[in-house]
Amino acid sequence: MKIQHNNPDSCTACTACIAQCPVTAVTRKFRGPKMVGPALERMRLSQEDTEPSLEYCSNCKNCDIACPSGVPISTLNMLARAKSFKNRSHSLRDDMLAHGEKMAKLAEKIPGGAFLANLGMNLGGSLGLMNLAGIAGERPLPSYAAESFLRQFKKFKQQSCPDKVVFYPGCFINYNDPQVGMDFVAVMQANGYEVIVEEDFVCCGSPMVATGYLDEAGEQARTNTELLKKWRQQGYPVITCCTSCGLMLKQEYQELYDIEGMAENARNLYDGCEFLLLLADKGKLNTHFAALEEKVLYHAPCHLRAQGFGLPALDLLELIPGLRVENAGAGCCGIAGNYGFKADKYDISMAIGEKLFQRIKDSGVDTVVSDCGTCRLQIAHGAKVETVHPLTLLRRAYER
Amino acid sequence: MRQSDVIVIGGGFAGLTAAAVAAKRGKTVTVLSKGVGTLTISGGTIDLLGCGSDGRPFASPAAGLALVDPDHPYSKIGKEAVQAAVDFFLDLCETAGFPYRGNLQEMKWIPTAAGTIKPTCLVPKTMDTAPLAETDMVYAVGFHCLKDYYPHIVAKNLQKLPGYDKTYHIAMVDPRFTAGRDVSALDIARWLDTESGRQDCIEQLRNTVKPGAVLLLPPVLGTRPDYQVLQELEQAVRCRIIETVALPPAMTGFRLRNLLLDHLKSAGVRIVEQAFVAKAIVENGRCLAVVTQNSDRERSYSAQAFILANGGFYGGGLLAEPGKAVEPIFHLPVKAPASQTQWSNPRLFSREQQPFAKIGIAVDSTLRPLAENGSLALENVYIAGRSLAGYDFCFEKSGNGVALASGYQAAMMV
Ligand SMILES: Cc1cc2nc3c(=O)[nH]c(=O)nc-3n(C[C@H](O)[C@H](O)[C@H](O)COP(=O)(O)OP(=O)(O)OC[C@H]3O[C@@H](n4cnc5c(N)ncnc54)[C@H](O)[C@@H]3O)c2cc1C
Ligand code: SF4
Ligand code: SF4
Repeated sequence: MKIQHNNPDSCTACTACIAQCPVTAVTRKFRGPKMVGPALERMRLSQEDTEPSLEYCSNCKNCDIACPSGVPISTLNMLARAKSFKNRSHSLRDDMLAHGEKMAKLAEKIPGGAFLANLGMNLGGSLGLMNLAGIAGERPLPSYAAESFLRQFKKFKQQSCPDKVVFYPGCFINYNDPQVGMDFVAVMQANGYEVIVEEDFVCCGSPMVATGYLDEAGEQARTNTELLKKWRQQGYPVITCCTSCGLMLKQEYQELYDIEGMAENARNLYDGCEFLLLLADKGKLNTHFAALEEKVLYHAPCHLRAQGFGLPALDLLELIPGLRVENAGAGCCGIAGNYGFKADKYDISMAIGEKLFQRIKDSGVDTVVSDCGTCRLQIAHGAKVETVHPLTLLRRAYER
Repeated sequence: MRQSDVIVIGGGFAGLTAAAVAAKRGKTVTVLSKGVGTLTISGGTIDLLGCGSDGRPFASPAAGLALVDPDHPYSKIGKEAVQAAVDFFLDLCETAGFPYRGNLQEMKWIPTAAGTIKPTCLVPKTMDTAPLAETDMVYAVGFHCLKDYYPHIVAKNLQKLPGYDKTYHIAMVDPRFTAGRDVSALDIARWLDTESGRQDCIEQLRNTVKPGAVLLLPPVLGTRPDYQVLQELEQAVRCRIIETVALPPAMTGFRLRNLLLDHLKSAGVRIVEQAFVAKAIVENGRCLAVVTQNSDRERSYSAQAFILANGGFYGGGLLAEPGKAVEPIFHLPVKAPASQTQWSNPRLFSREQQPFAKIGIAVDSTLRPLAENGSLALENVYIAGRSLAGYDFCFEKSGNGVALASGYQAAMMV
C-alpha cells in the first residue's frame, strides 16, 4: 500500500503548516504552505492556475512535518511548480542549479577541470557574473574536489568481508565532499562490512524536482529504481549519507512517480547513521572508540527530520567517550538544497538561518556536525565555523 | 529497535507534558509524533474547568472539580493530582522565565476577540486582566490588514460586561505590510519580534494612546516564550497591555509549545518527528513495542510503559467508522452512545453538551484503558488528553486542563 497520498482534501485548514514554514516566517512574498499547497491544489484540479509565489517554497518539508493530517504539502508544491513550466522555459540559472551532476562531469573530463571550474566560480562570484546568471555571488559555490569519491574509492584497498552494503554517494559527496564517502567506507570497514559502490547510479533528481524538472528527474528515478532493485534482489542493503538523496530515493519517488519497485526499494534503503545505530541496537557496533575531548553542536537537517526515524547521529555520537554533543534545535538552516544559491533567495535563506547562526555563536563551539552537505555549507558560511559529517567524527574516534 | 523507559505517542500538550513529567522522574523518554499538536495554533491558556453540564460557570475550577461526574477524567485523576499537575506546570514555566498566573481557587475570565469573556484557569502574564482594575481608560488596539480581528467589536461588546464598563477608544497600528498574503497574528508577532517592528509600533501607539490606559491587543506579543515584547511596549507607552483570545494561529499556544520543546531538549527527551504509530505489539496484556510506518519501512520502539496521547477525533487518535468509533493503534474499546444517531445533539449552539465530544477511551484511576467488561485492557499503557472518554472540552472549557492533568497523572504512574 502506498502510505503517501496526494490528498489536498485531508487538509482541515488548521494552519499548523503556516506556523512552521521557515520561508513564511521571513518573507511576506510567499503566500504560505496551506494556500499554495492544498488550498490551491483543489483549484488546480479543475483549472489551470499558476500561483506566482510558489517559487518561494524551498521544498524544505517543515510543513509536512507539522501537518497532523498527513498532507504532503511540499510535494503538491513541487508538482505545481513543474506544471508551471509546461508553458514557459527555464532560466540558465535553474538549468545550472538543477544539473550539478552534469556540470561536475564536464569539469571532470577536462584535465585540471576541477581546478579551473573552481577558479572560474570564484572569479565569477567576485566579478558579479554569478549574480548576472541569477546565482548568489555572496555565497561561495561548493568547490569541486581534486579527485572525486569514485576515483578515490577505486584506488582504495578494502578488506574483503562476507557482509556487504551498497553505497549511494550522491553528487555532493561524489564531486564536492568525497571525504565523507571515504569516512563512510572506513567506518564500515571498522565494523566488518565491505562497501560496494554502484557506478551507474545517477543523481537522485532532488535538485531537478526543486527547480521544476519533474520529467527529467523521473528519468533519473527510473534508472536508479532499476539499480536499487538489482541490489535489493541480491540482498544487499543500500546506504546513503546524504539526507536529501535519502528522502528522494525513499519517499519523494513514491510521492511523485509511479514506478514499479519503488516501495520495495525504499524498505531496503538506509541512512548511514541509522544503519550503524541499528547495529548498535543488536550489540554489533564496534565501540572501540578513542576519546574525543571536544564540544560540538549538532544541526538536524530538515530532510532528515522528515524521514521519521529521529536523529540517529545524536545517539551514535553519544557513544564516543569525551565528546559532548548538543542538539542545536534551531530549525531550518535556510539553504534547502539549491534554494539558497539563487540570487533572489539568498537574503531569505540567510534570514532563515539567522536563528541557527546565533545559536552556534552563543554556544561558543567551533565545530558543527550535520548530516547534510548543503546545510554544512550554509553553516560554515553563516556562522564561520568548521563543519563535519557525523561519520567523520566516528572515523576519527576509531582511528585515534 | 530503540529502547526507552517510556514512550509517549503524540506531541500535543498532553504528550509533551507527560514527557516532561516522566523525564523529571528520571525516566528515559521518547516522544513519537506525526504532526504537531493543536497547541501550536491554539490559545495557550490552560482552561481547567469552566462550567458544568448545565452550561453554568463554576465559581472556581476547584469548585467544579468537586462536582464532575464519576466518568469524567478529573474524577479518575483525583483533585490532589490535578493540583500537583498545576503546580508542576507553574513551576516549569517560572523556571523557564515565562511565568504563568492563576490557581485552582480562582476562575479567570479573559476577553476574546469577539468581545465576550471566557472562563479559564492559568494564563500567561500577557492575558492577566488585573490591570483593568487600575484604570477607566481602555484602548482596543487593532492592526491594519489583520484578518478576523475587529477592535470596534471588541470594544462594543466588552463595555456591556461587568468589570469592563470603561471608556473605550480604538487605536490602529499599521505594520506597513505591502502586498503579500493575508495577515495573521503570526505575521504581526514576527514583526514585533524585530527591533525595528517594536520601535515602529511603539511610535504609532505613542501618537494615539494616553499613558495610564489599558491596551487590549490581539495575541501578537512576539513568538518567543518570554515577556520581552510585553515589557518593552508597556514601558515605552506607559500603558498596561492585555492580549485577547483570538482565532488560530494564536501566538499564545505557539509560545507555550516552544517553551515545552526547549525544556524537553534540555531534559534529554528524544522527539521523533514524522513518526506515525500504526500498531502495537501486545503479548499477554502487555505492550512490548509500538511500530511506526513511514514511506520506507516499519520501525519498532520498545519501552516499559506507553502513554497514548494522540488526540481524539481531531488529532487522529480516534477514527469514526460507520456505526462505531475506533482507536486505531491498540484497538481499545471506545466508549460511545450505542446508536450513532445519538452521537450528536442536532441543536449545534444549544446550551447542551455534544454526546460525540465525550466519546473516548474509558480508563481506571491509573489512566489505564478498560476492556468492555470493566477489567484492565492493558497493563502498561496509559491514556492522556483528548482520547479520554467522558468530557466535552469545548463545552465545559477544559481542553488544556485535561491534557495537563492526565499527562501529568499518566507520567506519575509509569
Ligand atoms: C483551535 C483550538 C483552540 C483551542 N484553544 C484552547 C485554549 O485556549 N485553551 C484550552 O485549554 N484548550 C484549547 N483548545 C483545546 C486544546 O487545545 C486541546 O483539548 C488539547 O490541546 C488536546 O491536547 P492533546 O495533546 O490531547 O491532543 P492534540 O493536541 O491533538 O495532539 C495529538 C498529537 O498526536 C499526534 N498523533 C495523532 N495520531 C498519531 C499517531 N498515530 N502516531 C503518532 N502521533 C500521532 C498528532 O499529530 C498530535 O501531535 C483548543 C482547541 C482548538 C482546536
Ligand atoms: S516546503 Fe518548506 S518552504 Fe515550502 S511550504 Fe513547506 S515549509 Fe514552507
Ligand atoms: S497543517 Fe495540514 S491540515 Fe493543517 S492547514 Fe496545513 S495542510 Fe492543512
